Amino acid sequence: MKDRSSHEILPDDKPVPFFPDHAMTEVWVALGFLGLAIVVGVLGMFKHIGLGDPANPLDTPLHVKPEWYFLFLYQLLKVVPDYVFFGQIEGRVFITVAVIVGLIAWMFLPFFDKKDDTSKRPSWIRAALSALALIIIIALTIWGEVS
Amino acid sequence: MQLARKFLYGGIVILLMAGALLLATSLHASAYQPGVLDELSSVEVPPAKLEPCLHCHIQGEHTNLWTPTSRWLVFGTLGLVFLFGFYQSASIWTQRKPFKPLTTRVADWVEERFQIAKPLNEILKKPVPSFARWWWYCLGGITFFLFVIQGTTGILLAFYYKPTAAEAYASIQFIENQVYFGAAIRAIHHWSANGMIVMAVAHMIRVYIMGAYKAPRELNWVSGVILFVLTLAFGFTGYLLPWDQRAFWASTVGTDIAGAVPAVGNLVLILLRDGWGVTEATLGRFFGLHVLVIPIATVVFMLLHFMMVRRLGVKRPL
Repeated sequence: MKDRSSHEILPDDKPVPFFPDHAMTEVWVALGFLGLAIVVGVLGMFKHIGLGDPANPLDTPLHVKPEWYFLFLYQLLKVVPDYVFFGQIEGRVFITVAVIVGLIAWMFLPFFDKKDDTSKRPSWIRAALSALALIIIIALTIWGEVS
Repeated sequence: MQLARKFLYGGIVILLMAGALLLATSLHASAYQPGVLDELSSVEVPPAKLEPCLHCHIQGEHTNLWTPTSRWLVFGTLGLVFLFGFYQSASIWTQRKPFKPLTTRVADWVEERFQIAKPLNEILKKPVPSFARWWWYCLGGITFFLFVIQGTTGILLAFYYKPTAAEAYASIQFIENQVYFGAAIRAIHHWSANGMIVMAVAHMIRVYIMGAYKAPRELNWVSGVILFVLTLAFGFTGYLLPWDQRAFWASTVGTDIAGAVPAVGNLVLILLRDGWGVTEATLGRFFGLHVLVIPIATVVFMLLHFMMVRRLGVKRPL
């Protein structure tokens, strides 16, 4: 059996030189995105990103929403009950701490999940987990957007 | 593809882009609204000379700023090409041996001084497995490219943006309405920021699903998650800068959430806001974080990230 954790390049991998073969694929993709950026820029000249009303610390608007990528967290904070765990912990604090702890745990994932894959099965499980997490996040985001 | 056809397609693309640029320029010129600054400006535009002298005509002094430069560029290049051709013919004729191309001469000159050819060749020709050319391995590269776009457009925006409570809002209006291509630059900066987050998440999910975070690439994953957090921090700090109602209150609520953390919350809140409330000091702090601290940290971690990818290679899929 091949050692799949190894980072050596085997003849099976049909290696190509980094430059120009590999680098050129990246360059073409980058050029595509540059074109996309130019299109966005030209469209942006017709429809400005724009500004809301100037900031006024004395006037709190009814609906404050963060950027879309923070919206699911914000929605989570909004819908969590005031107190969780039999009224022992404030819900808002619990979610905040849980997110921070979760992020740190996520960062150290490779130190928890050490076993090398020997089949495709773990990949499928991880794909299913990612899909589940994405669905939850997207659902929360949509909920936050419409509420 | 034949070379001639390549040039034909390239030419058509350049023509189309030039046309789009011309259209955008004329549209921008027609949409230009004279602002307060035009009237207050103390710079007087010199009147056009009606009957230019000969050297004024040749130098293009009676036309606009770019004319003399472009004339020097066009005719200067033609002159250099002519001189070079003359020199090449003369040297072949006198020395009776083939002419050594200029590129070879330059390469030899550099090589003699830096002796860089061997290590550079090793770096550039490093074998990469051909499976690494599937599109899903591009996601990280796209994130990096969007970061480059963000850096470039961000520098352009920083030329005009003023991080004070009194002027921030007006300076963004100025960028959108007066600055040449300002609205386009801001749109690109806005949408690339969103794209960068999408691409970073996609890249992270790809790495997670393929199990590429496992030994020996643990630190690559750690640096990747740090880069992701830095990207979110970019988004969070950048959102306050327009200093409109949405920005102000989203930042107020966002920093409030950070303040809810037990024990360290208040300290974090004070450090983020530079005081108890969101004020001009917060704006300055977020601006400094957005344009100096986070970019430098991102570049450092990206370098580490790339060096580790280079060293450890791409994980072979099962």
